[in-house]
Amino acid sequence: MNKQEQINKLIEEALGSVDDAQRAEPKPYLLTRINARMNKGTASVWEKAGWLITRPTVAFTGLCMIVLLNVLVVMNNKTSDTATAAEQTAQNQADELSYTTATIYDIDNTQP
Amino acid sequence: MNQTELVVQLQQGDEAAFKKLVDDYQVMVYNTALGIVQNEDDADDITQEVFIQVFRSVSSFKGDSKLSTWLYRITIGKALDHEKKKKRKKRFGFVQSLLGGQEEVDMQMAEFDHPGVRLEKKERANELFNALKQIPDKQRTAFTLHKLEGQSYQEVAEIMNTTLYAVESLMGRAKANLKKELKKYYENNIPE
Repeated sequence: MNKQEQINKLIEEALGSVDDAQRAEPKPYLLTRINARMNKGTASVWEKAGWLITRPTVAFTGLCMIVLLNVLVVMNNKTSDTATAAEQTAQNQADELSYTTATIYDIDNTQP
Repeated sequence: MNQTELVVQLQQGDEAAFKKLVDDYQVMVYNTALGIVQNEDDADDITQEVFIQVFRSVSSFKGDSKLSTWLYRITIGKALDHEKKKKRKKRFGFVQSLLGGQEEVDMQMAEFDHPGVRLEKKERANELFNALKQIPDKQRTAFTLHKLEGQSYQEVAEIMNTTLYAVESLMGRAKANLKKELKKYYENNIPE
């Protein structure tokens, strides 16, 4: 038998291999599993919420948002720190060099 | 209990009727799902989903078709949806593996061993099931219903909501495509 004939024979055998196949049967206690699944479907709101937040995509998105918020807060603090430091330096300079002119009020009222 | 009585009792939420429905149709639903998804755990999951959907939507069943035809339609729809989701997941996994960070997903499908096939025919049947995965959904559905479920072309036409002529054509194309796929396989893998 040459190769082509052999291939044709195999193809015919494969196509006929399921002709007398028995029907496959599911595992036992199918009804019990169906009932359990239906009861599971009526889970409480908290159970559903728990299931939702433990999903990888939701958990990952939540984590990303927390990290992003932290970064934003740190950046914001850094900016205000720089502004406060500049203000402080200017004030120190003003105090040291007495930029301000004393008013009559300051001279006359030495008592607190 | 005939079909009409069973449907009426199901619509009234009768638990005994639901048990009868599961007992009478579980093999049909499971065997059809298994023929399409080729995985016993997935077929079991789909079987459960089918009966849950039937329980919840039996009020919309008007009796235009046979109960078994309705069950076949739900099963086929769910099994094909499951296949699409599985393919999408695989593609996503493959893209993730290309981008790095994730372990590479095994793109090879597991070999399927249909429990109803006779032992001496298992090897050829495995090759046939692998070829079945490569042909279009409609052809695969018609082939599964006719060959694995033993439905006549007329019954397949009713289930698929099409004409007898269309089923004949689908079966002809299914066989031609299966022959093409099997030929491709045997040209490189002639068994000893």
